[in-house]
Amino acid sequence: MRPGVQALGYAATRVAGTALAGVLLGALAGRPWIGMALALAAYLLWHLALLYRVEWWLQHRSVAEPPEAVGVWGTVISLIARLHRRKRFHKQRFVQLMRQLQQSTAALPNGVVILNAQREIVWFNRMAGRLLGLRQNTDLGVRIENLLREPQFGRYLAKGDYTNPVVVRRSSPQDSYLSVQLVAYGDGQQLLLAADVSRQMRLEAVRRDFVANASHELRSPLTVISGYLETLSQDAALDAEFATPIAEMRRQAERMNSIVRDLLELSRLEETDERAGGEPLDVAGLMALLRRDVLARPVHPREVRLRVDSDAALIGKESEIHSAFANLVDNASKYTPPEGVIEMHWWTDLEGGHFAVSDTGIGIAAEHLPRLTERFYRVDPGRSRATGGSGLGLAIVKHVLQRHGAELEIASTPGKGSTFTCHFPPERVLLAEPARSNG
Amino acid sequence: METADLTHHISRRFNEDLERVRSKVLAMGGFVEQQIHKAITALLEGDSSLGESVALADHQVNNMEVSIDEECSRILATRAPAAGDLRVIVAIIKTITDLERMGDEGEKIGYIASRLAAMERPADKYREIKHLGRIVTEMVHAALDAFARMDAEAALHVARQDRLVDEEYEAIQRQSITFMMEDPRSIRRALDVMWVVRSLERIGDHAKNISEYVIYMVYGKDVRHTSLEDVERALGHRSGSEETPPGAAS
Repeated sequence: MRPGVQALGYAATRVAGTALAGVLLGALAGRPWIGMALALAAYLLWHLALLYRVEWWLQHRSVAEPPEAVGVWGTVISLIARLHRRKRFHKQRFVQLMRQLQQSTAALPNGVVILNAQREIVWFNRMAGRLLGLRQNTDLGVRIENLLREPQFGRYLAKGDYTNPVVVRRSSPQDSYLSVQLVAYGDGQQLLLAADVSRQMRLEAVRRDFVANASHELRSPLTVISGYLETLSQDAALDAEFATPIAEMRRQAERMNSIVRDLLELSRLEETDERAGGEPLDVAGLMALLRRDVLARPVHPREVRLRVDSDAALIGKESEIHSAFANLVDNASKYTPPEGVIEMHWWTDLEGGHFAVSDTGIGIAAEHLPRLTERFYRVDPGRSRATGGSGLGLAIVKHVLQRHGAELEIASTPGKGSTFTCHFPPERVLLAEPARSNG
Repeated sequence: METADLTHHISRRFNEDLERVRSKVLAMGGFVEQQIHKAITALLEGDSSLGESVALADHQVNNMEVSIDEECSRILATRAPAAGDLRVIVAIIKTITDLERMGDEGEKIGYIASRLAAMERPADKYREIKHLGRIVTEMVHAALDAFARMDAEAALHVARQDRLVDEEYEAIQRQSITFMMEDPRSIRRALDVMWVVRSLERIGDHAKNISEYVIYMVYGKDVRHTSLEDVERALGHRSGSEETPPGAAS
């Protein structure tokens, strides 16, 4: 406020000074008023001329030098020039920063695509162009799912859960695999990250094939060995001292058989990682069948209870579900003493269907729980080998459940027993029709 | 003011509708691409279960076609699109028919693959089919890319590639005839192989059709196409001649 008033004071003084000088000069010529008018007009012209020069400079300020002036115009011009310099400096820094950022993201070994809220491509780096086959001049503004059309990616988008990347098999170039992940940021924008995982997938395939082939090749010699051992064990002419070793050999051969069987089953499950289709399964019937199997064994827990709290059917692949449930029940019966109890429980609620197997066995210490579904993971090596397990049962369970979109939950207290629960999503449960439950 | 807002609103909703249908068409295309790829893989690797799964999944393609068709009818009825929008809808209706046929051909290859898997495989391991299969899958991919990008030049390139497929088809045919004459026991298998090659050739034709619709979508100039027959006649003219549309010359 004050400087303004001061400036106004200066300006008033100048105008008054000019007018006075005009009056005095005019008085010399005998016409004081005309002298004043002329002086004021000249003063105004000077200001206007400066104003036009400033205006011209402002319009051409990127190329022109600022005009030189004194007084208030000088101040105004230097202020504008300073503002302009500062703005240019910031702009340059911003552009530089932007360029550096773009260069660094462009050099990333992974593909990066920026998508707007409609999932239209806004920007992508060089690697993304190479991996996804995007082209700079035609593809900006195109929806990503229109160019990345693989059904796996469509399902990933439809699911809306972007916590894990999805592996997409590209049809062109042939047999290449991409790992793709979406990351949400800012105002509905999304970042798409893509990486080439063809090599990993090929290695994985080689490993899978190797396991499957090796298991397959082991099968025939094993059959021969088992066959001879069986003949030998029934051979009355053989010395009695061979009876124990032969019985042990038979047991071990049987164990190898079960390992090979489980390995083959696992590799079959791994071969297709797509969702298992399925038909409605009668869970109660399956439970009764499993119960009979357990009770038919020479050594089995005292009691196998069934609790069926829902007559809903489970939608799944019968052979796989049977194998998973049987493995759970098998484990329970192995680790439960003859006086113990096993319970199978099937119920449904809003979260889906649940199948639980609880036992009153030895239980599992908490530190083993996270690794339990790994292949050949043994809590107590001596004991589990003695019971004849393959060490692959829970790995099979995990795979089957994955293929059905289900999860395995393990709760256990050492010494008291364990509960293995399979949680199936609601779309895997087919509720019984009311008419049928009435009748 | 109010009417201006309203029309703006409607056209935005309309654009969204159109864009959604286009995405659905391309999703269907992606599924068909995968089906064809799987069917060829099943044949080359003698994987009967993969072949069967392709044949069993074909109903999904049909469902997609029906659903997109319904949506197009709804848009035609409620929005009465004109000019470029109408061309897009017409092209979509035609494209999904071709995609559905491609799916059928894929289904056929899948069936034959599961049957051939049980038979002895030839020494060359179907090298010609592998080659032709690669050309055809790349054609389908490029045609759908052109559809997504509305890229008439790429579409033209695909349409021209069809000649290559035809040449390849004839070469395999001649070779098969030689095989059959040399060894009559191989006739059964050679016939099955011919069916596969025929299907691949048909898929190439459908890919060519789709790229022609893309050219029509981008360059079709006659705005007054109000009946489908008129549009069809215009398209028939285009697909008959392979001349460069105006502006496509590079």
